[in-house]
Amino acid sequence: MKKIQLYTYGILIFLTLLTAFIASFQGSKIIIIAIIAIALTKFWLVAFQFMELKKAHPFWKFLIVIFAGLIGGITMILY
Amino acid sequence: MLESENKMEKKSFQEEASIDSNNKLETTIDYSKVAYPPGGVLIWIVIYLELVTFGMAILALAYYGSQERELFHESSMKLNRVIGTINTIFLLTSGLFVALGVHAFKAKNHLLAARWFHFAVWGGFGFLVLKMFEYYQKLEAGLTMDSNSFFTFYWLLTAFHWIHVLVGMVILLIIRRNIVKKKAATLIEDVEAGAAFWHMCDLVWLLLYPMLYLLF
Repeated sequence: MKKIQLYTYGILIFLTLLTAFIASFQGSKIIIIAIIAIALTKFWLVAFQFMELKKAHPFWKFLIVIFAGLIGGITMILY
Repeated sequence: MLESENKMEKKSFQEEASIDSNNKLETTIDYSKVAYPPGGVLIWIVIYLELVTFGMAILALAYYGSQERELFHESSMKLNRVIGTINTIFLLTSGLFVALGVHAFKAKNHLLAARWFHFAVWGGFGFLVLKMFEYYQKLEAGLTMDSNSFFTFYWLLTAFHWIHVLVGMVILLIIRRNIVKKKAATLIEDVEAGAAFWHMCDLVWLLLYPMLYLLF
């Protein structure tokens, strides 16, 4: 379990640096989608691994997936 | 019949003792039940209320950003991305420490758990100090809440989040104190609830960071 948390942390840091890097190539719709997709991935990693939502009832998992998905989806449409 | 149902309910609520692979006594709760998410149902109601509140503000930011693209782009470029990225790393690192602290607490390693929570508080402190430095830079440059609609969102959202991190740090300090003083008497539900609040600060920042610093 401790290993999973450390791996999760490593992925989160990598994604943070990656998103900061790709944000320097602005103007493309693909970049916008990538930034939002990475943000959602990080969001769900923290929720499921650090907050241990992976062990919770599907109701709680569904809520967090839907919430972040809606925010990300609407932002993509607006942008 | 009713008595047996009550007993079953009580059993699922109470902590059950089990032996893990290292032969350490570990407390477990049946999280698969809808009424028992990690930290308890009440903290999750608070978390979802907070997320919805921030989420609506983030959508408003995205909407106004789509209406005034040039202004939002120019304003966003005035933010320091390096500071934003370092602050993200501060919160993620602090989040890892809290997760490890909960893990250590469950394994009955109270001293280690208290140490992880101590480190987590320092992570939060680093975030707050760096954010204050960023605020100072913005104020020096004359970028206040009244500058334009982007900076209205920037100040409101980040300051509201800043307060949440501060409150989260106080909660972590109280948990740490309870673990050190009461040890086994500290309830796992309380530790998990405090940890969940701290992670909520992570979650909100993980949405704010790209929206304010990277997207526009």
